[in-house]
Parts: sequence; C-alpha cells; structure tokens
Amino acid sequence: MIYDKDKLPIEIRNLPDEDFALVASDNIKDEKLHTKPIGFYKDALVRLSKNRVTMFSFGVIVLVILLALIVPSLTGYTYTEQNVSRKNLPPKIQGLEKLGIADGTRLLVNRKKDSLTDANRYPEGSVIEITREFDANGVAMVDVVIDYYKYSNVPDGTYYWLGTDYLGRDLCTRLFWGARISLLIAFFSVILNVIIGVIYGSIAGYYGGNVDYVLTHFAEILDGLPYIVVTILFMILLGSGMLSIILALTVTGWIGTSRLIRAQFYRFKGREYVLAARTLGVPDRQLIFRHILPNTIGPLITRAMIAIPGAIFSESFLAYIGLGIKPPSPSIGVLLSNGQSVLLQYPYQTIAPAVLISVLMISFNLFANGLRDALDPTRRGEE
Amino acid sequence: MLLTLFLVMSLSFWIIRLMPKSIFENPEVSPEIQRLLEAEMHLDKPMVVQYYYFLKGIVLHGDFGTSVKVRPGMDVFRIISTRIPPTVMLNVLALLVSMPLGFILGTIAALRRNKPTDVVMSFLIVLFISIPSFVFASALQYFLTFKIPIFPTLYDSTALTLGAKLNSLVLPITALALGPIATIARYLRGELIETLSSEYLLLARTKGLTRAQATVRHALRNSLVPIANTIIPMITGIIGGSLVVERMYSIPGMGGQLVDSILAGDHFLTVALLIFYSAISLITILIVDVSYGIIDPRIRIGGRQ
Repeated sequence: MIYDKDKLPIEIRNLPDEDFALVASDNIKDEKLHTKPIGFYKDALVRLSKNRVTMFSFGVIVLVILLALIVPSLTGYTYTEQNVSRKNLPPKIQGLEKLGIADGTRLLVNRKKDSLTDANRYPEGSVIEITREFDANGVAMVDVVIDYYKYSNVPDGTYYWLGTDYLGRDLCTRLFWGARISLLIAFFSVILNVIIGVIYGSIAGYYGGNVDYVLTHFAEILDGLPYIVVTILFMILLGSGMLSIILALTVTGWIGTSRLIRAQFYRFKGREYVLAARTLGVPDRQLIFRHILPNTIGPLITRAMIAIPGAIFSESFLAYIGLGIKPPSPSIGVLLSNGQSVLLQYPYQTIAPAVLISVLMISFNLFANGLRDALDPTRRGEE
Repeated sequence: MLLTLFLVMSLSFWIIRLMPKSIFENPEVSPEIQRLLEAEMHLDKPMVVQYYYFLKGIVLHGDFGTSVKVRPGMDVFRIISTRIPPTVMLNVLALLVSMPLGFILGTIAALRRNKPTDVVMSFLIVLFISIPSFVFASALQYFLTFKIPIFPTLYDSTALTLGAKLNSLVLPITALALGPIATIARYLRGELIETLSSEYLLLARTKGLTRAQATVRHALRNSLVPIANTIIPMITGIIGGSLVVERMYSIPGMGGQLVDSILAGDHFLTVALLIFYSAISLITILIVDVSYGIIDPRIRIGGRQ
C-alpha cells in the first residue's frame, strides 16, 4: 500500500471497485524474445569455436594425445626393446622411401675407396652413390651415400619410422611413449597445483584477517625462493621418477593459483548474494565452494592451460640436467637430451622430439590465449 | 632478500643431510677413513650442531666445505669462483640484448597494428615464446656451426681477445634471448596499443609533437611499468635456460658444474652452487625492483608521499 486509504476524501474512498479497470492489460506491446537466453559458458564456448586459430591448436593437441595413445602399439616395437646391431639407424618410412625422404640412407664421409668393395663392411647393394672422390696423402678417399639398413645387415622390409637410438631402440615408439609421460606429468602437476592453490587461496581469501596474513606471508617467503633451486633440491631429495617430478613441480607451483583465487575471493565475498546466503545459514564450506568459487573458474582454467606448457618445459629441463625420469622410460626431455649429445652425427634423433615439443608448446600457448579471450567477461557478446 | 638466502641455505642443508646415504659412501674407501673424514667435517655430530657449523662456515669464512667427488679435496668456493664470471656474463648479456630488441620490436608491432608487419611479428612472437631455449640452442648449433659454419661450435675459453670470446658466445646468447625478446615485444605491443589511443597522447600530438616523439616520450614510458613486472619471471627463465645451454656449448660456467655435481652426488658442491644461483637471481631481481623507481617516479622505495 503506497497510500493510506483512510486519509483519502470520502467520495473517492467510496468509489465501487467495478469502476476500475487495468489499462491495456491484455495487449502488452513488448516483443517476445526470439533467441534463447545464453549463459556465460555457452557464450564463451561459442566465441571459442569461432576462433579458428584456437580451434586449430586444440585439434593439434587432441591429435598429439591420440598419437601418443595409438602410435606406441602400431610400430611393432616396445620402448625398451634394445637391439645393438641396429643402433643409430636413420628414419625409413613405407611409401616415402621412394620419394627420397626417410629412405634410410646416410652420407658417410672420408671413407677409403678400396674398402667399398669389401662385402663384409659394405654388403651388396648398400652403396648407393659416391658424391665426392678425393685424394688424401696418396689414399683414394670417397664420400658415399649408403643404405644404412643394408649396411647394418637389417633385413629388407624393416622400417623404423623415426630411426633408432644408440641402443637400437625404435625412436618413434619412444617419442610417443615419451609424449605420453611428458603430458601425464604436465597434467598431473597442474591439477595438483590447482587443487592446492584453490584450497589455500580460498581459505586465505575467505577468512581474511590474521589467517590471511599468515598464509599470504608464508606463500610470499616460499615464492621468494628461486624456482629452479627449489625444484632441483626436491628432485635430489625425492630421487628420479615420474612422481618425484610431479611433486617437485608442485612445491612452489601452486602459489600463483592461490594468489589468483585469493584476489577473486576478496572481490566476491562482500557481494550481496553472499551476504544473503550467509543470512540464510549456509555454512562456510558451501559458501566457499558453491557460491564464490564458481566465479573464479574462468581465470582458473586459463591459468591451468598456461601452466601446462610450463610443466612440459620444466620436465625437459630436469631431464637435461640429469634429474629426469628413470631410464629406460623415455620422456620428450630425455629424448632431446640424448639426441643433443649426438646432434652433429645423427641430427634426426634431435629433430623429432624438438619438433614435437615445439608443436605441443605452441598449441598449448595458442589454445590458452584463445581460452583467455573467450572467458574474459569484458568481451562478452563480442563477435 | 637475506631471509630468502638464509632459507635457501637451510633448506638445502636439511634436504641434503636428511638423505640416508653417507656423503662419503664409496666402496673403495675403507669405513675407518670414512669415519675420520666425517669427523673432520663435523659429520659425526648431531644435526643441529652440523647446521651451526655449516652456517658459521659460510657466513664468517665464506667456507662452503670441500668437494668430495667432482674434484676431491678442493675447496668448493675455489671451484666455483672461476665458474661465476662466464655464467654471469652469459646471463647478463642475454638480458641486456633482449630488452632493447624487445622494446624496438614491440613498438614497431604496436605502431603497425593489424598490418602485415604486425601479423608476421605476432606469429613469430608466439613461436619464440613457445619453443624452449634449449631447442633453439640445438637448432642454432646444428645449422650455424655445422651446416653453415659461421660461428664456432663451442665456447672458446682460451680466446685471447674479448671479440673472439664474444663471437663464440653469440649463439648461446641468441638462444637464451629469443624467448625474452618475444615476451617483452608481446607485452609492450599490448600496453602500447592501449596507451596510443589514450587522450594524453592526443594532447601530445595536438601540441605539435610528431608521432615518433609522442610515442617515445610519452607512450613508451608509461608502458614500461607493467613490462617491468614481466622481467622478473624472465630472469628466472634465462637463468634456468642458461643451465642447459652452458652445457651444450661447453661454457665453463656454473651450469655444467651443477649438472656434474648432481650426477656425481657431490652434495657440498651442489649446495654451494644452488646458493650462488639464488644469490645471482636475487641480486638481479633487486636491481629490477630499484629500477621501478627510475621508470616511474610515483613508485619510490620508502613509501613517503
């Protein structure tokens, strides 16, 4: 009631109700909504799918994951299978060999010309082409392209798609098995970081005050320690292995996430809807996880995606300094550092892992960028 | 900062000491000698006493202990002291090279926004940010020293002139600097695009400054503060990368030594190296912090208005 009926003049007070009618109650001119209302995540998804670069990079990531799952069982070798008589074979792929790429040939330089006729060292058909003949101190020398598979007495019809390493292990199997391990390490360390960061950041941000003070300062001190130093120390402590790498990457990795979550909690915990929920008697745990945390999912996903290439990088870095995964398990980093030591003799052993890690890192970065743009609330509704 | 260093020391001490194996565990050394060696280094005393000796040695005498496995019997500090200059040179040069180049490229990209130059540069930026520095190091080493021999394959520590020394450092520096260059360029582009459309820049143009003058004097300076934030993680990135790159190019720095000491299990050396790494990165971060005040007069340490 916006007016006090008793104060109105008597003749107005006594007007019969039938004399009143609502104006234009039956023909409201509002237009009906033709489109369905669209939620935040649906909107983000729409924008994400319109970004061609992002979708392409997402496709590449999925492809690499699929390859990592399928290829190791397709090659016909296992990642530990050694065969010393077949070491350092160059790549050879069915079909492509006729085109002159990946045909299992290799250029040997500075060989004695006489020895080419020696069937023990150069089996029949192994010499393909002599590229250069020269004379060194009276000895006839040649540079010669040979079929390295025949040279190593490997039977016809044997194919190593990416060649073999110094122990005669199939590099293709090892590469994709390694990709599997690298991706697992990356995913698990990021998930662990997110979980710890979310819990820590929520508590600090939600309760505030002294709790926040202590927690934040503890994180600050930990964050001051150089990342590399902490990771190396923990790897020394835990020993090599997949679990140790994941844990070592978590020691300081969660701090960024917790900081983000804490800031988001400070932004949202004073809102009216939180107050309303609290008035209704919702317990702290539910307030944190059901009412405030969902607001932070956008930035959280973006952060996690950005952290994945970082974790892949850290894993390779640890492999390089000899603290990686336990042999004989491969990881991309282990393959890279093994390949690096024979880079000038057998470049193909470095090229494949280098290309794979680069492709993975580029795709993850591009995808994370696209995701960030799509989940950015200020860009909502933009095409 | 000192607190952080102290923490690094304590953390490394406890982690290394709490490992079950004896530091001198070696089948060729008799248990008797092992015990004598341990007594000499106070290893037979309780942990807390050891910790006291460890800290006292470092703080009062600069004594980090004695190398046990990599170069037995040699004072750790003497091993490291020859290793610091190459590492510092490599890291500082990489940082010094990447900053101006990043600024220039980022400015160009922002001014040529959405033109072909910008598109090509954006693509390269993603490429350089994503690909790890050791992959670059491998690629550069293979193509520029082996396929087309322009630069020496390995670091030449015997080079007499500074020029020759730098020549052999070109490739490692390039490998380390590409990522940071791209990072700076990317952030600067984003910042500059925002600043270039601001009103005070319009004012600068109306009062008669050319586009170049307005950009350099007004826009660039304002964009520098957010950039300084990215430099600290970049430094950690460069130092981490240099660990690996040093080894690839056989630079006799701390990186190679660290790897050797970890593989050999020479814990005194490892701890000392880690402490020095922390010190180097903390000093660089301190320098960056101080430079905030130079870039932006509003941020001055001390907090007085």
